[in-house]
Amino acid sequence: MKDTNKLLSHLHDRALYLLDIKQNPKWSGIGELISRLQTLRKKIFDMSHETLIAELKMLDERLSFLEQRAANSLTSYETVNIVRNPARFTLQDILENVYDSFSELGGDGECNVDPAVVVARAVITRRIKNKVYSHQVMVIGHEKGKSEEFRNGGSAKPWGNAKALHYMKAAETEGIPIHSFIFTPGAFPVEDYPGAAQAIALNLYEMAMLRTPIISFTSEGGSGGAEALGLSDMRLMGSRGYYSVISPEGAAAIEGKLREGEKVPRELIERCAENLRITASDNLKLGTIDRIVEEPPLGAKRDDYAFFRRLRYEMIKATDEVVLRTKSLKAFRAYAMKTQKNGHETGFEDIDVVIDWGLSGPELNRLLDMRSQKYRAMGSDFYIEGKKGIVDGIFKLTEVAAAGFYELRYGLIRPHERNVRKVLAEVSSEGTTFLKKVAEPVRAAYDFIFPQTEKNQRINRTHETSTRSIFIEDWEPYVSPLANEDRTVTCPNAQKYGCLDLWVPDLYGEFAGVCPTCGHHFPLEYRWYLEHLFDRKSVAEFNRHIASGNPLNFTGFEKKLEKDRKKTGRCSSVITFDAKVRNIKIVTAMFYSDFRNGTVGAAEGEKFVRACDKAKMTRRPFLAYIHTTGGIRIHEGTVGVSQMPKCTLAVREYVESGGLYIVVYDNNSYAGPVASFLGAAPYQFAIRSTRLGFAGPRVIRETTGDDVPPDYHSAKNALKRGHIQGIWDRRDFRKKLHNALLTMGGPNLYYK
Amino acid sequence: MTAEKILIANRGEIAIRIMEACLVLDLDFVVVYTPEDKESMHVELAMDKSHDGVKRAYCISNYRDPNELFAVADATNATAIHPGYGFFSENFRFARRCLARNRKLTFIGPRWEVIRDLGSKINTKRLAKKLGIPVIPGTDMPIYSEIDAEGIAEELFYSQDQQGVREPSVLVKASAGGGGMGIEEVHDLATFRQVYRRIQNYAKRLFGDEGVLIEQCLRDYHHIEVQLLCSQHGEVVHFGTRNCTIQSTGRQKRVEIAPGFDPSVCNYSFEAEKTLEKVVTHSVKLAKHVGYDSVGTWEWVVTQDGMPYLLEVNTRIQVENGISARIARISGMNDYPSLLEEQIRSAFGDKLGYKQQDISFEGTSIELRIVAEDTRRGFSPWCGTITRFDLPMPSSSWTTHTHVPSHRTYTIPTEYDPNLALAIIWGATTDDARVKAKEFIKNTRIEGSGPHGEKIVTNLDYLENRLQNILIF
Repeated sequence: MKDTNKLLSHLHDRALYLLDIKQNPKWSGIGELISRLQTLRKKIFDMSHETLIAELKMLDERLSFLEQRAANSLTSYETVNIVRNPARFTLQDILENVYDSFSELGGDGECNVDPAVVVARAVITRRIKNKVYSHQVMVIGHEKGKSEEFRNGGSAKPWGNAKALHYMKAAETEGIPIHSFIFTPGAFPVEDYPGAAQAIALNLYEMAMLRTPIISFTSEGGSGGAEALGLSDMRLMGSRGYYSVISPEGAAAIEGKLREGEKVPRELIERCAENLRITASDNLKLGTIDRIVEEPPLGAKRDDYAFFRRLRYEMIKATDEVVLRTKSLKAFRAYAMKTQKNGHETGFEDIDVVIDWGLSGPELNRLLDMRSQKYRAMGSDFYIEGKKGIVDGIFKLTEVAAAGFYELRYGLIRPHERNVRKVLAEVSSEGTTFLKKVAEPVRAAYDFIFPQTEKNQRINRTHETSTRSIFIEDWEPYVSPLANEDRTVTCPNAQKYGCLDLWVPDLYGEFAGVCPTCGHHFPLEYRWYLEHLFDRKSVAEFNRHIASGNPLNFTGFEKKLEKDRKKTGRCSSVITFDAKVRNIKIVTAMFYSDFRNGTVGAAEGEKFVRACDKAKMTRRPFLAYIHTTGGIRIHEGTVGVSQMPKCTLAVREYVESGGLYIVVYDNNSYAGPVASFLGAAPYQFAIRSTRLGFAGPRVIRETTGDDVPPDYHSAKNALKRGHIQGIWDRRDFRKKLHNALLTMGGPNLYYK
Repeated sequence: MTAEKILIANRGEIAIRIMEACLVLDLDFVVVYTPEDKESMHVELAMDKSHDGVKRAYCISNYRDPNELFAVADATNATAIHPGYGFFSENFRFARRCLARNRKLTFIGPRWEVIRDLGSKINTKRLAKKLGIPVIPGTDMPIYSEIDAEGIAEELFYSQDQQGVREPSVLVKASAGGGGMGIEEVHDLATFRQVYRRIQNYAKRLFGDEGVLIEQCLRDYHHIEVQLLCSQHGEVVHFGTRNCTIQSTGRQKRVEIAPGFDPSVCNYSFEAEKTLEKVVTHSVKLAKHVGYDSVGTWEWVVTQDGMPYLLEVNTRIQVENGISARIARISGMNDYPSLLEEQIRSAFGDKLGYKQQDISFEGTSIELRIVAEDTRRGFSPWCGTITRFDLPMPSSSWTTHTHVPSHRTYTIPTEYDPNLALAIIWGATTDDARVKAKEFIKNTRIEGSGPHGEKIVTNLDYLENRLQNILIF
């Protein structure tokens, strides 16, 4: 009797799970099946044992058939339902089953900096023959919890990500690999001390050059929140997991242009889920993950021990591979042969070799090189590069020549020159008359051969001051087209400060879109900045031909792209160019709103990385000016998301090589880019009108249920919480930028 | 003239004078007033002088709001705007907006480019230097570097030393400042850096631009003005010079005399006639260079050794334009000219019709500005109600301009300066003018009481005192 009861409830659970996935009681009579199970449960004592068994067997067969059918026609949205199901395994299960022992760090249940992020030192073992070998690893991941409110569904708060970073650094110091597990619907969009974007950006920036192997496993990868732990040398993903730029509901709300509170139609959500390419196999095709860990057809649950065994095997194998790649090629090949042979015979149960996961200095360098190459390659198939043929060849040739020139000039001669001067200065400053006698002529001869530029001398007064006159700059010939209207506008602060109505030609002409009374900034188009920020005719665009495409074949997106291409005459939302600011040469990447609202996709990421590399090659300061960015382009899905680590890596390499990276925000700067390659900059400034943050007010309201004050994303608040380093007025943007280049540059920067 | 209609965008006596000029030229006009100015004579006169029943006075909330002025202009179909002095008279944006808007208006004043270029003292100085016109020694560009600044200060101290100036000093000014804010005097090069940094910080904080100007500090000088009149056809004539040295502590002029110097009355340590001549020639030179096309005043300082330095250019009609006109005679005309009428004529593109040779000068004219203020207590303004306001009847010796009604009581609005009246006195010689001025003051009766019943305070006794020593140092 007891057995049948258990059997019955087990069947009931399975049926409900299937219903949860399908979310449609009418599908193949699943609803009817469930009601039959329920009536059976009521009548369980009235029936004879035999009939009950027969009935249960019949139902079991039918359910299995339905499960089979469901698994065969699993849609993307159903995958999302699997992942969201409370029966799915969590990090806790992995810690208990994949690792042999673990001790949680920095938290115990509710008593935690952020219960959504769990960190543990764990031991993972492999058995070879009868011997057991164990490795220490740092496990970092999101914990969705078992319907525990305080876990926040795995949404990491900024301090949770900071905690993760803290232990990542600990792992780096100890030289143990990091296993990160991603179970997050997205980061918790709170702007605090620090804000969500800041924390994620900092994580990415640090992980870009974290000197230890990182292996990640994704079950639920929600955009920015996933990236905060997900930058890794090997990216694994559960076969029934999803990894996406945005939740299908969010995408549907944007696509359907729905207002807040409106119900999103189910079909639209399903279509978006399909279009976003969020499943594991899609992501593998897109190249955003490296390997899939097979799960049961309808997803692994908490008690799926076979899956955990497989996961352990995959984690060890992935770590082995990452470690071995840094070693010589020969060893790696031998290992590959061996695992292949064994893999066929004994499945994933056993691994025959023991690899030491500790890495030496040069190996770590190689690891970082490979990490960089891996991310730089991401999304490289998904933008359209127009130029081909001879022109392309010549272009490449000049690029190579330029690289050689700059390497010679700054890489070889300049440091050498610096060193010689240093030695000379040291020798002659000793004060010994004898040495001075010897050193002076040498020094004189050296100065003759390599004359120092006379920049430090007293500047020619008239020349210097004339370029700084306030009167020459006040009346620039470029006037915004907004100014061609004879009307007045009312300053939004008129009530508070008594500003007079502004006449539009004055406002957008001479006042640079700034209310002269209260300093309120009205938005201006990006061309204004191109003309006013840089020296006249010094802007030379490059990589203009790299165009945004439609990598996911998102329905209807081609048309939208075409429209924007026509509107702007450009083919991506970033303009990269060489320019001069009061005669200082810089490389600039400018995100502007007219093209897909300044969103970042594969083409934009590639252009940004190339601009960054160009700045690195030419030893010039690199400015990222954000006229507007709406985040990662959702139509490019995870290809877009992978631009976050990609660009952050490029930026980190540039900064590490000694470059000066300045970010200036304007208008609206939100989401992915701010939470990665922009937010990671050591010097970030904002124009007064900036609204800056991780998620907009609507998303915050929808995820946290709290309303935010109207100035929540203002530049002032960003300054208060330490995201930006200063607020600039648009009217003296150029002056401030020049000043920043002078003061932050200085003699230690190689461009000087 | 055609059917032009002028919007008078000002208040007080200048509004009345423009109105009178319009009547003489047979032009229609419309005035504006704020609720505080409802009692002012200019409103009453505008109502009075139109017997055709057309509304000619419009209430606005603020004289300084261009949007309201343009709204009135559009509603009344005005074709031109006369800004008077103050308010929008030297605002190039306002002048530009008159031309750039869909319904164009004639701005009665110079071209906006001229207002802009001469409106900046630094720019004027630079321009003057280029033309060889003497300016106060110092920088003509904002200085941003401490090392440069000290170099300039050093040079200024050295040159003053060479000239034998008794107490050499330099002024450090915030270039974006104005109205006496952010100016400090340095007597010793050793303390210069300290002051420079202070001013630089002050300027950065207050004006957002840390540019600093450095100038030689002049003492005991005469404030000389040259009255110019130009047309759009390149005609440039001057109406002689004025001496406006007598000023209140807030640098507001109180007594003005035309001509600038009178060697027959006073002894000067330099050749006064020659200095005035130099001042006039230089002013005309600059006016021709920038293509000036309206009335304007070139302000100069003349030091004790007779050295003139160009101070600034006022690209507008001035309060004291009357005295320059009063001493001028144009051959072929019966009466002395009115510069306001000439300004309006030239703004509509008329030719002047006479040349410099046609203008001769006769006698001395003194202007007295009667203001309700306490000259013994730092020229602090007085507010209250005027119960009696009797000025001597106009005659060949004097004329008066006032917006204070004499037939009813008048409450001085607290929103504006308590200017009451202008008296323009003329005498055949300086002494004659001075005697007449004293007579004028003697016969002026102003009575009134403040909010607590206190007696009215005016500057009449101060004016009388200052008349003793005019035109000399």
